[in-house]
Amino acid sequence: MAPPTSTAAAKGFDIVETYNDLLRSDPDLTMPIAAIEALVLLLTHSAASTISETLDLLAKSTAHLKKSIPNPIGLSAGTDLFQRYLITTLQRPGQLGPAGDFKAIRTHLLSNGRLFIRRAKESREKIAAFGRGFIRDGSTVITNGGSRAVASLLRKAADEEGGPSVVRFRVIYVMSSTSKGVDGPSGEEPEGMETVRALRAKGVPVATIPESAVAYALGKADMVIVGAEGVVENGGIVSRMGTYQIGLLAKAIGKPFYVVAESHKFVRLYPLGQYDLPIEQHVIEFKSEEDMAEESQQQASAANTSADGPIELPLCDSVDFTPPHLISALITDSGVLTPSAVSEELIKIWF
Amino acid sequence: MPPPSSSPTHICLLVKHISSASTMAEPVHPAPTMPFASSSSAPGPAQQSTAENPRQTQTLPIRDSKDANATNSDKAPHKGKDTTASAVGGDGAGDKALSPAELKKKAKAEKTARRAKEKLEREGPAPAVGGAPAAGAGGSQARPSATSKKDGAPGGSQKGQRAPPPRRGSVAAAQHGAAEQQKKRKEDKSVAVFGHLYGQQRRTTIAGAGKEVHPAVLALGLQMRDYVVCGSSARCVATLLAFKRVVESYTTPLGTSLSRHLTAHLSHQITYLSTCRPLSISQGNAIRALKLTIASIDPSTPETSAKATLCDFIDSFIREKITIADKVIADSAAQKISDGDVIVTFAGSSIVKETLLEAHRQGKRFRVSIIDSRPLFEGKNMARALANAGLDVQYSLVHAVSHAIKDATKVFLGAHAMTSNGRLYSRVGTALVAMSAKERAGGVEVPVIVCCETVKFTDRVALDSIVVNEIADADELVSPSPPQQVTDLPDPAAAAATAQSDSNKKGAHRAPSNPSADTPASSSDDSPLTKWKDTPNLQLLNIMYDVTPAEYVDMVVTEMGSLPPSAVPIVHRMSTNM
Repeated sequence: MAPPTSTAAAKGFDIVETYNDLLRSDPDLTMPIAAIEALVLLLTHSAASTISETLDLLAKSTAHLKKSIPNPIGLSAGTDLFQRYLITTLQRPGQLGPAGDFKAIRTHLLSNGRLFIRRAKESREKIAAFGRGFIRDGSTVITNGGSRAVASLLRKAADEEGGPSVVRFRVIYVMSSTSKGVDGPSGEEPEGMETVRALRAKGVPVATIPESAVAYALGKADMVIVGAEGVVENGGIVSRMGTYQIGLLAKAIGKPFYVVAESHKFVRLYPLGQYDLPIEQHVIEFKSEEDMAEESQQQASAANTSADGPIELPLCDSVDFTPPHLISALITDSGVLTPSAVSEELIKIWF
Repeated sequence: MPPPSSSPTHICLLVKHISSASTMAEPVHPAPTMPFASSSSAPGPAQQSTAENPRQTQTLPIRDSKDANATNSDKAPHKGKDTTASAVGGDGAGDKALSPAELKKKAKAEKTARRAKEKLEREGPAPAVGGAPAAGAGGSQARPSATSKKDGAPGGSQKGQRAPPPRRGSVAAAQHGAAEQQKKRKEDKSVAVFGHLYGQQRRTTIAGAGKEVHPAVLALGLQMRDYVVCGSSARCVATLLAFKRVVESYTTPLGTSLSRHLTAHLSHQITYLSTCRPLSISQGNAIRALKLTIASIDPSTPETSAKATLCDFIDSFIREKITIADKVIADSAAQKISDGDVIVTFAGSSIVKETLLEAHRQGKRFRVSIIDSRPLFEGKNMARALANAGLDVQYSLVHAVSHAIKDATKVFLGAHAMTSNGRLYSRVGTALVAMSAKERAGGVEVPVIVCCETVKFTDRVALDSIVVNEIADADELVSPSPPQQVTDLPDPAAAAATAQSDSNKKGAHRAPSNPSADTPASSSDDSPLTKWKDTPNLQLLNIMYDVTPAEYVDMVVTEMGSLPPSAVPIVHRMSTNM
């Protein structure tokens, strides 16, 4: 939990720190939920006594949070949702409307914010219930990344009543070559290894392959199930680097490509392509021998000076955009949606 | 000679309608030996002189003589069809002599005649492009050709050999008072696939407009007809502003209430406008909203305050749905433009222009490639405006689309409407540009972005561009210069036009091949297509819109946010419910 660093004064409350703490403390927490929780905590600590003050505080903190996090796509889904919720609540006539008592409004907001967080955590269970039917007996699923929604779905399928894996299925797990396990010292294991172990413990045969073997392995698979960091307005997804190529390959080979995502991950964003995402990531970097030498020199000199420049996304956390035409369906807690239904859901939330 | 004898029947009937409007009838006495020439050139007199001419009685029966015709004619048995056809327009008098089969045929013939009549009414004002009064033009154009045919009557025998289908083309022939050959030719001038779109011809003058039509609306109608007010949003705004003046000058007549009578009063204005040019989707939506507001006015409201309410509504509608919406769209669409982009756009969309100017104002460095098309050349104004603002502009016509699209990074398109199945209904050529962008390199690289206000959304569905479309005057395609306008200054590009037509002359083998057409009677510019109406086997199609499939559109930028085309019906539902 976030340590309440100061008393009621919002000035002392560090939203970024809170957000990061929340994410670290609970491995099951997604970015949008962490953001909402951080905002709720902010409101608890704030001394704002009017609506406009509250809104102003929220807007400022949100902007600050977005600026301080290298990849704000996921968290912006949460902050936008919360802000939207706040405004609709305030516009509603009655006790909680603009005419009502601000204290009542505040308590209502806070309690609802907590309720929202609790529901969001439950949504993964719901998704698993919706998606279970997709994994049939004898099928082989190919997946990647460290999505908790995918993991819970696979576990649910493995946990079918009647002991270890009545639904017999196999999993091909694509291990990212850029994940921390490869980059850093051998201490850390690659993303998703935990899920692999859990599935194996439940009696599900799991194969791990490198990204380069996806095309080779797809012939053996029946479907692709991936997670998402954010679902954008046109029904595409922003997800761990490498998802796009799996989508392309699945389309080319003709295997269904399912995305598992909670509906609070829907972002109001409309990327037109890979390079239209609102984040800075240096995946492609052209270097010559000279540049390499220069860089190593700089690294040596700047090793101990803390980076204060623009935040760049480390390569292991980089994302790509999978366009909607590659996606067969999105398994969400509000049902199984086609990509085009995402915008409908988003519009429902926003208007 | 059954066939020739049947056509005069139609002519006769039709002439009844047009002879009142035009002074077409000439005192020519038909020569029995030349049935064709006589019947075609002098139907009017023939009608009166039936009694004197027994042959005429047979070939040109009219209602009084029908009875006699049916019984007298010794050729009746083998000319059954003609005789019954001749009974067209008959009252009850002769019916007793007809068998059921004949009655049936008669009914059929009547139907044919009715259709022909309708068609004549439609086509009547067609030749009057230059702004001449509709009825007068029909008549005056017809007369010279009729006389010339009569003078050159020797051709009659040759023409007489042609046996046209008895029911076809009689209208045109009547109008021109000329040969069957011409009838057929005239008939073909509407392209068959788009036949259903050749509705009423556009109005050419304010003559005949109802007295209820407000002067502002009268002027607007002509401006729209001449494309002075062009573009979906512009037409919508102009219409609303004109209607505001209508509302302002309106007084409720005694015995009715404003909410009831004003709607009817507006209907007159709307009907007039739609005869000048078919209404756009945005106009339709705006009018629907206005009518809804009028209907919701409490009848007990005093007239002045009701009118004030309506004027406020119109103002806020324009502000919310067009002015502010355009600004919001331009802002959010400009965000999609990044440095180094090459933006391709088609024709002249005001909102795309605003978007590009906004992006330029934000200091983005990009290039614009405008693709334009004949005959409206809407892109010219945009090119000038953008170049004046300091943008890099490349201008080319639509035949150069593959060249222009080669180095494009984004395509921005305007819209006339967005249909409920996510398709874009826009100026003809748009689909070609969108497709070129998408089909290039698999379509991943070049996003096609449509800028469109939600007022242009419709719940209609467009599967192709044939069912719903608008046909403009085909003569616009003929002259290289823009259409002559009633409401605008004469075109300065006339010199260029003649130069171009000179160069065109080399390839003009159609005109020389038609020996009768080598007298350049009226044409000032001799484009090879000038006489397209008299050239057999030649059809001109001037279609206004086309439909771009939803797969070719990546994003629709509206004032309510950016959407995929599939979300259009949802947003439309929401924006109309609010």
